[in-house]
Amino acid sequence: MRRGQRNQGSARGPDHPTVPRCDTVLRTAISDQKPLGCWSLKHGQILTCPVVCNFETHEYIAVHDDKVLRIWKSEDISLDKAFKATLSADVYRIHSLPHGGLLVLFRGGGVRTLDELLEAPQQEIENVISGEAIRWSGAFMEDQQPVLIFTTEKDEDFFVYVQKPKLNSLHKYKLEQQESAKPLCFTAHITNQTVTLLCLYSNDSVYQILIPLQQDTEEEEEEKEILSKSLLLNFSISQAVLKGTSLVALDKDHIAVLGSLNAPKKQPKECLTIWNTKFQTLQTSKELPLGTSGQLWCYEEKFFLIHGKVLTVIMYKCETSSLAAAVGKLKCSQTPDVSSFMNWNTLEDEELVVSFQSQESVGLKAESRMNLRSKKSIDAELPFDSLSPGQVLARFKDAPNYLLETKFRRLMARAPTPDLQATVGGVVNVLTDRCKNSKYYPQDFLQEIVETWDLSYSLCPDLMAVGLEKKDMHLLQTCLERFPDIPEEITYACLKAFLSISEAHLENTDVNLDSVICYIDVESDKKEVKTEIVENGFSAQMDQDMCGTKIPKESQSWSDDESCPVGPQKAALLNAVLHSAYTETFLLPHLKNLPAQEAVLFLRYLYYLYVKCSGKVNTTLPGIRSPTINQIMDWMCLLLDAHFTVMVMLPEAKELLSNLHRFVRAQVRFYSELNKIEGSLRELQRLNHLRESHTYSIEVLEII
Amino acid sequence: MGEFEVHRVRFFGLVPAGVRCLACHPRGSRLALARTDGAVEVYNFAANYFQEKVIPGHELRTVESLCWAAGDRLFGAGLSGDITEYDLSGLSAARGVDGGGGPIWSMVANSTGTQLAIGCEDGSVKIFQVVPGGIQFERNLDRRKGRVLCLSWHPSDTHIVAGSIDFFRVIDVTSGQTVQRIMVNHHVEKAKRECVVWAISLLSSGTVVSADSFGRVQFWDWEQGTLAESHTVSTSAALSLAVSEKEDSIIVGTSTGATYQLQLLPVTLGGQEKRWVRTKPFQFHSHDVRAVAHSPTALISGGLDAQLVIRPLMEKIQKKSYDAALRKFTFPHRRLVSCARKARLLLFQFSQYLELWRLGSTEETGKDGEVLPLCQMPEHLVQLKSKGPEHIYCSCVSPCGTWVGYSTASRFHLYRVHCDGDGVSLRKVPKVPKLLPPAYQLQFSADSDSLFVASARGSVHVFQLLEPGGCKHLHTLRPPSGVEGRCLPFLPRGSAQGGCVAEVSAVVPSVHCPLLQHHCTVPTYNCAVSALAIHPSTNNLVIAYSDQQLLEFSIPEKQYTSWSRAVQSRGLHRAWLERDSPITHITFNPKNPSHILLHDTYLLCVLDKSLPLPDDSTLLMNQSTLKQLPETARKRQLHAFKICKKFQPLLFMDLLDENCLVVVERPIMDFKTQLPLPVQQKKFGT
Repeated sequence: MRRGQRNQGSARGPDHPTVPRCDTVLRTAISDQKPLGCWSLKHGQILTCPVVCNFETHEYIAVHDDKVLRIWKSEDISLDKAFKATLSADVYRIHSLPHGGLLVLFRGGGVRTLDELLEAPQQEIENVISGEAIRWSGAFMEDQQPVLIFTTEKDEDFFVYVQKPKLNSLHKYKLEQQESAKPLCFTAHITNQTVTLLCLYSNDSVYQILIPLQQDTEEEEEEKEILSKSLLLNFSISQAVLKGTSLVALDKDHIAVLGSLNAPKKQPKECLTIWNTKFQTLQTSKELPLGTSGQLWCYEEKFFLIHGKVLTVIMYKCETSSLAAAVGKLKCSQTPDVSSFMNWNTLEDEELVVSFQSQESVGLKAESRMNLRSKKSIDAELPFDSLSPGQVLARFKDAPNYLLETKFRRLMARAPTPDLQATVGGVVNVLTDRCKNSKYYPQDFLQEIVETWDLSYSLCPDLMAVGLEKKDMHLLQTCLERFPDIPEEITYACLKAFLSISEAHLENTDVNLDSVICYIDVESDKKEVKTEIVENGFSAQMDQDMCGTKIPKESQSWSDDESCPVGPQKAALLNAVLHSAYTETFLLPHLKNLPAQEAVLFLRYLYYLYVKCSGKVNTTLPGIRSPTINQIMDWMCLLLDAHFTVMVMLPEAKELLSNLHRFVRAQVRFYSELNKIEGSLRELQRLNHLRESHTYSIEVLEII
Repeated sequence: MGEFEVHRVRFFGLVPAGVRCLACHPRGSRLALARTDGAVEVYNFAANYFQEKVIPGHELRTVESLCWAAGDRLFGAGLSGDITEYDLSGLSAARGVDGGGGPIWSMVANSTGTQLAIGCEDGSVKIFQVVPGGIQFERNLDRRKGRVLCLSWHPSDTHIVAGSIDFFRVIDVTSGQTVQRIMVNHHVEKAKRECVVWAISLLSSGTVVSADSFGRVQFWDWEQGTLAESHTVSTSAALSLAVSEKEDSIIVGTSTGATYQLQLLPVTLGGQEKRWVRTKPFQFHSHDVRAVAHSPTALISGGLDAQLVIRPLMEKIQKKSYDAALRKFTFPHRRLVSCARKARLLLFQFSQYLELWRLGSTEETGKDGEVLPLCQMPEHLVQLKSKGPEHIYCSCVSPCGTWVGYSTASRFHLYRVHCDGDGVSLRKVPKVPKLLPPAYQLQFSADSDSLFVASARGSVHVFQLLEPGGCKHLHTLRPPSGVEGRCLPFLPRGSAQGGCVAEVSAVVPSVHCPLLQHHCTVPTYNCAVSALAIHPSTNNLVIAYSDQQLLEFSIPEKQYTSWSRAVQSRGLHRAWLERDSPITHITFNPKNPSHILLHDTYLLCVLDKSLPLPDDSTLLMNQSTLKQLPETARKRQLHAFKICKKFQPLLFMDLLDENCLVVVERPIMDFKTQLPLPVQQKKFGT
């Protein structure tokens, strides 16, 4: 398979790639679907580097047998008769630059322009690299200066050379080593005097390396500067892993990777993928079931790749990356647009016929777009402050307990950045991970974090579980009050914990009592409630008459209810539960599991709150964060729903239920009376209005 | 500025007549409207929907249908059986032509406006030719039993569709034969009840759209005689429908007061197949919507609750401007009240009678907002019924309260009011000189010794009033030649010498000076004048235009005053320009020449020329803000427009003396209770 596949020439424009075989050069018009020219070498000679086209002179340049340079034009028929020059050193590659001429890179790292070489083909070529093998090279124009970048490998070490042949400057850098992974493929682009080198590593990740293009030349002594790299992207698609073989940078936010997708228990599939590096998402992918050579070229918004035996050209378009585009909500569809491919078989048979088929553009958006939030875990040896929060978190994962807190405080004290919230969440996660199954529990620190930062349950999902485990009631209370997204399961767990914990234990616990302080008096006044009821228009006596079965110990049970059934600490904790958001359907199944005794206690407390609320004209309890009447009613309904049968059966609930029933009925009657009054008042108001709008009045109007 | 004692009058029992029919001018610039009392009004869309022209009604002339034909000619037909052409420049109805088929239920003009088709009680459809100076009977089409309630021409004028009770038919115009007759109550359970086709339209595609008393809007293919689509829009009758010019939108009015829009929309996005879909329901009216019209950019509906509602179609409006606002008009854009300042009398003009009231009084004073106890109640002095079937055009009471004048289409009447103790008697002034009727406006001079009568062709007649009850025609002022044809005289109030009269055509106010010759002409402004007044002491003419512009023109100097120029260069406040009812009355404070008082239906404004003008960043209606500020802080916030919105809807406002105002309100609810009951609808919870 080496034949015809090893390299494809630097394109002559988007439309006319020169398709080389090792001894034949083919020029093909993609749009017209036919070959334009074919040139073959003599038997025994092989092309050792891709054929390039000089855009200015419209000449083709090929190198065969490492040292022999051939230059010809499209009118020429035979390569043998073409211009020939034998060089003194092995050529690695020829780079064609628009408006920059041609650069010849030798195996030894030397660079010459073609014109220089042609003046003196036998000139000495210096050896820049020693014992290193060039793995990749690229040429660019920056400030109208050609810049040549190539990477070399020696003994597992990788080096990057940046050479400006016009200025005679050469910089050598060493690539930071990556454990158990080595670079497979490189690509680079230059923006703003900075070379961005993207490197595909064997650990399925793309790293980005930034190399500044220094103008001054005195840096030469600083050889072997070590380049640090940063993770740009990790190709893990849920369980599948993309084993990349080639990488092309499309624009500043998009890269294309050709590779095989290895899903567990599935055949590896080769596919071409486009990734958005800004949002870490897979933009699109296209399966190539016939297999590829692993090589991918990209010229002027077209991919060229060998798919099976066919040269396939795929057009693509990358739009400015926006969040909408990244999550697939952008309206117009993009890549791959049209793919046309050339049948390689026909070439194989030396029949110079190229057939083209057009394939429908494949919209792969929905099926394979996945969010790839890479874990930024990079161990770097940079000072603390310049580390990204993710790095800090990773680094201190294993730090000793005493150090952890101070380090994290420092981290959180940094200037606010958009992801600081997430960082704090990360801090909490690290802390809770450590707390699990260990004695370590930084109670105050956690409390402080929850109180100062607007966290949410989803940011630190383990926090409340740890709080429950450690029985940190205050933390749970704060979380319930502050987190908007607590799952019903956790809410229930908190409720259960609050109800079951002993009052004695709570006495010594520090709990925020703001929500209860205004309405729970330790020694409650018996008469207060009664007068309230009479005020509402219905005395307890009257209710009793209405109630069919008279319940003994009436007055006694009444007096039981009027004092708060729980201590203030517990009441405050329960209030926090009442405050939390929930969905009835999700909470109800959990609530059914609440032990009967605790359910009764909770109902008793709710009933107490209800009576307290009804005492006030505006049915609101005083104090900060005190539960509203609606919350109380909702929970009461929920609780009764969940424990209906239990309540009916339970002897100790009987009194409570009948009291509750009586009170509710009195309320209903009271409100229906209010309704009547409202009707009359409205009528009065209307009449009043009519009278007011009567025919004549003399009024005083001040105009300022 | 000060406190006013406001006489808040709500005893003006005006009940505006319901809207019977609407006709959009084919070019969409004007809307003709007929009310149930036979009055015809013309609204000008370009002039901020100003009610430009009003032709008062006539007891015997009901209007069932209006149509524009032959350009700008307006025809009406009604149950009297006559077809009447309206003289829009002379504001009168020309003599009617008998249709010859009994009461006329409907009339439509063909697309070129050269022919009128009428549908009569006897089931005939007749074609009239519109000729210069009138109309001419052309021929009868096929006559069938059953009154023809609605008609519609095909856009190509080849067919007419006529809706009757239980059926409609399609008539070929050239042959005059009925080519299709379609029963609309077929296959309906309610078929025992008759089904009235209230409105019908023939689209260019050959589809007939009918609205019937079962509340259905149905689309028929008349050639096949098949029903294509049926939409039941209402449980009660669908009374009216109008199709947009592009035939992609229909508005339907129902007897519950709701209007519905149906639109022709593609079934799939971008697809070719289109269906009619009921898209927007509106409930602007409380009573039957008897008339609807579809202008290119708006849905227009008029109901028996006297409201005209113009609801712009947002999708047709390019930019968000004031054109995009919903407009509702209930009250006329003109004055129906006049006030005798000195005698404290109010004269109310109804369609066929006048009422004279004396205001009450108080001896107390109070603070802002207080209602003062009355020491004398207002008194209904006299009701003056107009003789004959004609409705009143205009009326006026003299400032001293001793003269009352009014005019109908054919006659001008002047009365002397005698107050003897408690009783009030009116005596008709004999031998009032015959004038070329009608009089459009009447105005007494401030000293009540002369009367100005604005009449046809822009002429103004001056009468001298003689005690104890007589009058003499002094002279007639005529506008300079060239504008007389277009003139609608408009008399300003408050002229001091009594000889200075401004008259206004639609565009050009011109001013006569005391020497009784044409003095000058105010520069042309391209909008209708809604009110104007001459300041008694400075002789400045203040003009309010229907686009809410205010101009002040100095008569002695024959140019705009510097204040007016300042207003024009600064521009009026945006909130002022965006009001939707025109200024209907301007008056002055005789003690303070810098004050101009004006009002529209929703606000009264004291304009203090000595204060700075507000710019768009300041609050225009800042009275309530100012009231909360301490005295010292108010100074900086003051601006020229002092607006009070306490009294709504405001039909009239005048200054009785320096700090005494009279306002006449007519709360909508008050007259709604006097309307016939609408269709009863069960409302939830009642």
